[in-house]
Amino acid sequence: MHRLIFKLLRRRRLEQDLEAELAFHEEMSSASGNPIRLGNRARVKEEARDVWRWSQVENMWRDVLHAARRLWHTPGFTIAAVLTLGLAIGANATIFTMIHRVLLNPLPYPDSDRLIDLDHGAALINIPTGMGMKGGLYFHYLDRARTLSSIAIFNTGSATLSGQGEPEQIRVTRATPDLASVLRVPPAVGRWFMPQESEPGAAQVAVLSQGFWQRRYDGDPRVIGRSIVLNGSPTEIVGVMPADYAFPNPRVDVWLPLSVTRVAGLGLWNYRGVARLHDGVSIDQARAELNALIRDVPQAFPGDPLAAATSPRIGLMSTATNLKETIIGRVRGALWILLAAVGVVLLIACLNVANLFLVRAEARRKELAVRRALGASAAGIAQLLLAESVLLSLSGGVVGLALAWVAVGVLASAGPPTLPRLEEVRLDGIVAAFTFLLSGLVAVGFGTMPLFRLASSFTAFHQSGQRMTASRGQHYGRHLLMGGQVALALVLLVSSALMLKSFQKLRAIDPGFDAQSKITFRMGLPVRDYPTKETALAAHRKMLDNISALPGVTSVSSTTCLPLDGACFGNGVVVQGRDAPIETNLGTTSFRAVAAEYFQTMGIAVIRGRAIERDDVERNEPVAVVDQRFVDLVFPNEDAIGRRVSWSLPPARAGEAPKHTWLTIVGVVRNTPTRTLQETALTPQLYMPLSITGRFDAPTWEYIGPRVGTMDYVVRTSTISTDLLSSIRRAVDRVDSNLAIAQVSTLEERLDRASAELAFNMVLLTIAAAVALLLGLVGIYGVVSYIVSQRTSEIGVRLALGEAPHNVMAMIIRQSGWVTLAGVVVGLAATLATGRLIESLLYGVSPRDPVVLGGTTIMLIVVAILACWLPARRAAGISPVEALRSN
Amino acid sequence: MARTPSPALLQGTLDLLILHALQRGSMHGYAIAQTIHLLSDEVLSVEEGSLYPALHRLELDGAIASKWGSSENNRKAKYYKLTARGRKIIASQQETWTRLSAAVNRVLAR
Repeated sequence: MHRLIFKLLRRRRLEQDLEAELAFHEEMSSASGNPIRLGNRARVKEEARDVWRWSQVENMWRDVLHAARRLWHTPGFTIAAVLTLGLAIGANATIFTMIHRVLLNPLPYPDSDRLIDLDHGAALINIPTGMGMKGGLYFHYLDRARTLSSIAIFNTGSATLSGQGEPEQIRVTRATPDLASVLRVPPAVGRWFMPQESEPGAAQVAVLSQGFWQRRYDGDPRVIGRSIVLNGSPTEIVGVMPADYAFPNPRVDVWLPLSVTRVAGLGLWNYRGVARLHDGVSIDQARAELNALIRDVPQAFPGDPLAAATSPRIGLMSTATNLKETIIGRVRGALWILLAAVGVVLLIACLNVANLFLVRAEARRKELAVRRALGASAAGIAQLLLAESVLLSLSGGVVGLALAWVAVGVLASAGPPTLPRLEEVRLDGIVAAFTFLLSGLVAVGFGTMPLFRLASSFTAFHQSGQRMTASRGQHYGRHLLMGGQVALALVLLVSSALMLKSFQKLRAIDPGFDAQSKITFRMGLPVRDYPTKETALAAHRKMLDNISALPGVTSVSSTTCLPLDGACFGNGVVVQGRDAPIETNLGTTSFRAVAAEYFQTMGIAVIRGRAIERDDVERNEPVAVVDQRFVDLVFPNEDAIGRRVSWSLPPARAGEAPKHTWLTIVGVVRNTPTRTLQETALTPQLYMPLSITGRFDAPTWEYIGPRVGTMDYVVRTSTISTDLLSSIRRAVDRVDSNLAIAQVSTLEERLDRASAELAFNMVLLTIAAAVALLLGLVGIYGVVSYIVSQRTSEIGVRLALGEAPHNVMAMIIRQSGWVTLAGVVVGLAATLATGRLIESLLYGVSPRDPVVLGGTTIMLIVVAILACWLPARRAAGISPVEALRSN
Repeated sequence: MARTPSPALLQGTLDLLILHALQRGSMHGYAIAQTIHLLSDEVLSVEEGSLYPALHRLELDGAIASKWGSSENNRKAKYYKLTARGRKIIASQQETWTRLSAAVNRVLAR
């Protein structure tokens, strides 16, 4: 290497020496009578120079310098090409970053493909999956399953952190200590739970998430061993988990040991399970083994009232799935489609730049032909051209990486909550490698295209002379590029228009409640301070009274479960007088306990009968209000009002009849969505007064309805302001200043969140389509402008011979119009062929929606005509005298 | 072999002819060309334009060294002379040289 540099430095001196040496030779030669000719002096010099070079590397270096100089002297072209490529490469890098993190690597645990979600379904009662786990099944599997190397169960809820500072409602996950051997991630600081710490009566310990540790304790390692007050109980902090540990989701603040005992029997579907497969065991083998174990449940739990009624009656089965599948199954399609979309944008960008290159190469025909005639090799010229494309695409890659860096930051903070690990998304080495690999491919892609075009000029020097007209065949390649751009842009335009229409449809759905001017927040009463239902009810009643007295508050109520928050407390329904099984074939009904004026506050219309009144709550009336879906399913051809229903309940002892508390239906209200706005199968809902539910101290088989320890409050106001929030805080303080107000939001925000995923896809696709349209516009404009400039002389002749300017204009537009039309036809065909791919992302609109297809096609054609019209108008304005004189 | 000489052999031939010529002492480019021309009874003429590139190549390889000096007619000229390495190359390629000179001789004989 040093030799190369040395030689480069000596270059000038060597040149002078060679000159002097050759001059001497010629002098000697002409002086002597018998001359020895030197030959072609330029060639001698060139060959002598070749000797000095470290030929290949130095040639390349020279070409790169030469290319850089050329690019520097045509800043318009360079900036256009680099920005075009940068935009497209940046978009690809961004989506790839998300795919890399979210799809390819969603779980930050060792051998995460061995992890399974221990889910269950019940075929006979139409619950395909999603039932979760029972405490009893955990021990049942733990003792017998040979396909699983470790098992853990957990559930997620909230707890009140009190003591120092403002009380705070935090999200906690209670998990059996063996979660550590399932996930195999050690704590970053301190330790995980010991097995004995999950036994009943053990001193409570907690492990913090990295985020919570940083937020609340500034990452102070001395926090280990410190005691905090959680739900009123002193709790010792024993460890902190690493930053990427987010089980089961990134919002968890604290992990607590889950206490489950064998004596509790089979229990309810209160938990979710996760397990690690033994090496070499497939998920199908595991599922088969678990299904066999489920058939043994009645024998394994003799005398347990739940066991006898479990597996055979409802068709219980294991629906264990890969954990990764559970987490990313829904979002996978969307991200791949987005990657395909930005891939198309990149393709359009490449076509554009290739086109720019062709135009440039055309202008350089003469120069290159001269080079060729003077002895430059074909390979040398190819190398020169390739050097330019490599320089351009690498610059594009750098620009793209910078854009991606910004975009990833924005997306990570604005993405929908359904994308796992989105907050961890960042650019890393793999993404940078991907970006530059892409740049390389791009460089080869558009760098070699002009070579084919120029192959002829390598040999045909005579062609590079001045011509008056352009031949039709010459524009063939450019027209192909232009048509391709139109087709690709149309595919993206249609996709984004379909998403836009889906979004409109989604937002046009009537959610069944009125979201305007409603604040919601969650209030959890610690079990230690409010051990019985009566104490909890009294606290809720006082808070409702205090809040309703605040100025600006129109009405206030509370519920155990807001719309779009899931089924919360689901159970089967039994109807008095009907001989129905414990868990009927009606599927699960969502049971909700509400305070008075709930429907009025939420704006949920009462269709028949009456709402739950204050008196019902005060007097513990066993009444219920059901929604229309419930009536459709349970009383399809009967009057529901006055009928008595209850939740399916196991008998206290096997053989006895279960003791039901019957609720009389007094009203029917409108349906509200349970999980998503666009859900097709609505979950039936049953509302009951909060005073008749939630016995805290009852055994499992007397469990009644949801607990009222934690409730969501809804406040209807005339004005939403931060003042109102602080006065609500004071109203709560007057009841108990240790209570935390959590998850404050408006109902509008909840609606927004419900459509966030679709909105996210829509925005990204729209950006891709807009870029595609813009690039397409620029591309068409460029091609037509170039064609016009090539045909200036011809147009001049036509005008001179008396052709009307508008005819010239029409001629230009007609020619480009055919190309556009061909592109549109190909694009429509591609759209129809790929419609199935995007169908899963759409809501309420067919991928072949004629309005969308027609609208976008017309829009594209208008844009294309505009792009042709500008240069065509210039053509019509050509002065014949000028055009002819310029030659 | 002589009938279908390979280009590589011809290139090598020129290099060896230059080295051989320089065995007589240091001389400038024109003199080298003259020497080869004369020594081959004016039959072998250095291919047009290939002498100086060959000289530069040999110099880079370290087989010959150059320095500027004055010519017989008092002009500034670049003189080349064999280096130790150049002599070694000639010695080591004696066989090749013999074979080549035989070939060259055969060519001369016709």
